[in-house]
Amino acid sequence: MVLRMDYRTDVWVDWCPGCGDYGILTALQKALAELGLKPWEVAIVSGIGCSGKTPHFIYANGVHTLHGRAIPFATGLKLARPDLKVIIDGGDGDLLGIGAGHFVALGRRNLDVTVLIHDNQVYGLTKGQASPTLPAGVKTKALPKPNLQDAVNPIALAVASGYTFVARAYAMDVNHLKELIKLAVNHKGSAVIDILQPCVTYNDLYTTEWYRRRVYKLDSEPGWDPVVRDPSEREEKASRALEKAREWGDRVPVGIFYWDQTREPFEERLARRIPSYLDSPPALQPIERGGAPVVDAERLKRIFSGYLVRRRR
Amino acid sequence: MRIPIWGVVCTRASTPSWPPRGSLEAWMGLGVVREVRFLVGGPQGSGLETAAQVLTVAYAMEGYRVYSTREYFSNIKGRHSYINVRVSHRQAWAPREEPHVIAAIDAETVLTHFREAAPGTVIVYDTAASKVGPDRVPSMEREEKARVKETLSRAGYPASVEGAVRYAEAELGARPLPLDYQALLRSLAGELGIPATRARRFLNTIPLAAIASLTGLELDALRAGFERRFRGRQGVVEGNMKLAEIVYDTVASAGLRGALKLEPPPEGPSEYFIVSGNDVVAMGKVAGGLRLQTYYPITPAADESFTLEAHENLEADGESLGGVVVFQTEDEIAAISAAIGGALAGARAATATSGPGFDLMVEALGWAGINEVPVVVTLYQRGGPSTGMPTRGSQQDLAAALFSGHGEFPRIVLSSGDHEEAFYDAIKAMNWAERYQTPVIHVLDKFLANSIVTLPPPSLEGVKIDRGLLAANPGPDYRRFDKSGGPISPRAFVGQEGVVMWYTGDEHDEYGHIDEDPVNRLRMHEARMRKLELAAEEIPEEGERAILYGDGGDFLLVGWGSVKGAALEALETLRGEGLRGAYLHLRVFEPFPSGYVSEVLSSYPPGRVIAVEASYNAMAARLVAQHTGRRIERFILKWTGRPIYVGELARAVTRIVEGGSVREVLTYGA
Repeated sequence: MVLRMDYRTDVWVDWCPGCGDYGILTALQKALAELGLKPWEVAIVSGIGCSGKTPHFIYANGVHTLHGRAIPFATGLKLARPDLKVIIDGGDGDLLGIGAGHFVALGRRNLDVTVLIHDNQVYGLTKGQASPTLPAGVKTKALPKPNLQDAVNPIALAVASGYTFVARAYAMDVNHLKELIKLAVNHKGSAVIDILQPCVTYNDLYTTEWYRRRVYKLDSEPGWDPVVRDPSEREEKASRALEKAREWGDRVPVGIFYWDQTREPFEERLARRIPSYLDSPPALQPIERGGAPVVDAERLKRIFSGYLVRRRR
Repeated sequence: MRIPIWGVVCTRASTPSWPPRGSLEAWMGLGVVREVRFLVGGPQGSGLETAAQVLTVAYAMEGYRVYSTREYFSNIKGRHSYINVRVSHRQAWAPREEPHVIAAIDAETVLTHFREAAPGTVIVYDTAASKVGPDRVPSMEREEKARVKETLSRAGYPASVEGAVRYAEAELGARPLPLDYQALLRSLAGELGIPATRARRFLNTIPLAAIASLTGLELDALRAGFERRFRGRQGVVEGNMKLAEIVYDTVASAGLRGALKLEPPPEGPSEYFIVSGNDVVAMGKVAGGLRLQTYYPITPAADESFTLEAHENLEADGESLGGVVVFQTEDEIAAISAAIGGALAGARAATATSGPGFDLMVEALGWAGINEVPVVVTLYQRGGPSTGMPTRGSQQDLAAALFSGHGEFPRIVLSSGDHEEAFYDAIKAMNWAERYQTPVIHVLDKFLANSIVTLPPPSLEGVKIDRGLLAANPGPDYRRFDKSGGPISPRAFVGQEGVVMWYTGDEHDEYGHIDEDPVNRLRMHEARMRKLELAAEEIPEEGERAILYGDGGDFLLVGWGSVKGAALEALETLRGEGLRGAYLHLRVFEPFPSGYVSEVLSSYPPGRVIAVEASYNAMAARLVAQHTGRRIERFILKWTGRPIYVGELARAVTRIVEGGSVREVLTYGA
């Protein structure tokens, strides 16, 4: 393998022909290239399933983790190296089903990472079971019976959890998605893009045709302004985002629902407590000199002086 | 084939400093007479811990060594809690029966502990509680109430504090020291000019001061303890001291001041850390270079993370040495996942947990195994299964540490027997994790976590930080899992300039891309598994993976973890009774010290080898059989969740060695 700045690898992409994942992969590769990031400055962290394979197709650090756990793996990576651009790729089942607790926790922290939800309403790699974003009562072709469970609303959940950049995209509109990814990666805080995509093999209801007729851009809506420029605007903008998130049917909005530029990211909260954090994060601190611990016995005593007692006699 | 590896294994202090190696005899013989043991009890939240801290500091500053261990319920306020303290001329490492003082804040303490009195035991109690019986103490468990009532009624005493004290006095030879706590507090209120209700917050100082007075601790020494504990709160110090003076006078007028006076302590180190097991692991981690600790709150592990967080800025006299990020996650799955993420970036990363949390971590442990990630899990065992007895101790999780998780992957499992071992093991765990690029599980238990000792500041002379094999000048064609040089691949970190890498939980090729080719699988899986063989070659069995204390004699005890303290002292006690034995202390369970353990066991008849463990199954004994083919057929077991006491262990050994018993179940402790 040789150094490539187009973010492609020579690993064969084994998704089904026509899969929405191709659009997401292309948009992500282009976004990274246009952002001018070097491959080693980026880490793509994924979960399990078709979307989980994404890192192998991108020439950048790739961490293909466990089902549902991409967010906490990425969190540890980011805490250790806050200067890295960390992008999480996961499916709807991965991030909103088995990993839903982590999804909520990330929003609470506003850690500076980007989450891309591959939202196709089914578990593809296990042959088409209903995912948490499939509405109740519908029966995609692999389901033996109609779905009994209601869908979670990723946009509403993200806003309620505290994400500060919340957007939706359509996988087949690569340019629009690419621009959103660039904004999300540059945003200082937790960003999420819910990416609607067809599953050509198992989802015969939410198809390319279905989306093409319904998707419209929020940008085209007169007066739509999701940006919080002052903390006093948070309540109102979040309420409008939640209201907009409920729109699903004849018209499906894509674009930015909520963008709070005023909330402090987790890294800065940490840096207020540990002043050396950003300059000298956990992965970059020297811990030994010539093999000996930097915290030697004398320093250990001073750091933990509260535990030390001296004999009086 | 041995592959070249950078760095040096951390060998310093692989042999703990106590008892001095080869001089078990020298350590023994001091005896336990130069010691005062006391038990102080009361409702959870009544300031018991504070009282024990003040006394510990005061005695330590006088030059005594202190050991204390705490028993408590899973409860915030109200349930019975007690602390066993040993103040000695040498460091004690386990609780021992027959307290010299039982000091009770409340009726429940007297009712729960009066049967533990021995000849001369002073029972300090509140006269106002005299008439209180078990039925008036709602926090007492019904089985304990029934046992207390039966003991007292069978011997013809009323079922009350008064009856219990009379029983202890007449049947067991105890000395009652009844004090009117309310009157003492009223005197204090008068002296300080405060309302009596406000004086009540000093209640815990009554048993504290009674103990101090009985043991002949001078008031200025006690003051030093209060000043240390309540630094900057002079009013609290003065209030406490005033009450202490009142209590001292009362004890004096009862003729008991200095009744249990300790001989002056011998020469010793000029300073000590006063640390719990949790604290000392946190200190070891800081010295060993830990810079990311993740955790989800769980007893008895969480205090370690609290200690780290309280010291997150590594500052020594204005010099900043960086910081430790302590990250509270949403659950234990996230805790280990985030620790792994940090390790991928090159930070030394660990998580600390207990059984239930460890169960949740297991899937990610396998991910770390197949991805060769140096992550450390500090596992504090408590009473299981399920929620079990969350605030009690056990040694039930060795099998989980060794065998949990699907599929095969290498892991190193080590355990610590005392605070000193725990400190160095925390460093060693991180060194081994990086040297062998695999998860390391450091097994401790609640007994160690919650016991507090006086520890001379550990030396770091000769301690090495071994980061293992690192890639020299990795370039664009870097292969994270390059096995061409042996089973350990040169490591680069995510984020390192000029290099990218891939990780996946799937079987993978040398780049880290998914690869299910059978020949690739053959090679990769074998390379990973062979790292354990390498560890087995490099880490000495004798002295490092197992330590033999004493030799020859009539019997051999085999144990691990915090069994060590009780076992060594029981050997000493038995030696005094003419029974000579040795103790084989197992330290590392993977890779298991098969050769050495087999050799040690071979010199004892099978009927004289006794496994001592705080579990029902005696897992370590099963491992001995698995690895050496030698079955251990005598057992001393305890699973009440309470620590093994020295005396009960010694008696059980006698019953096996002299009485022909094959299995003894220990039950001491309320």
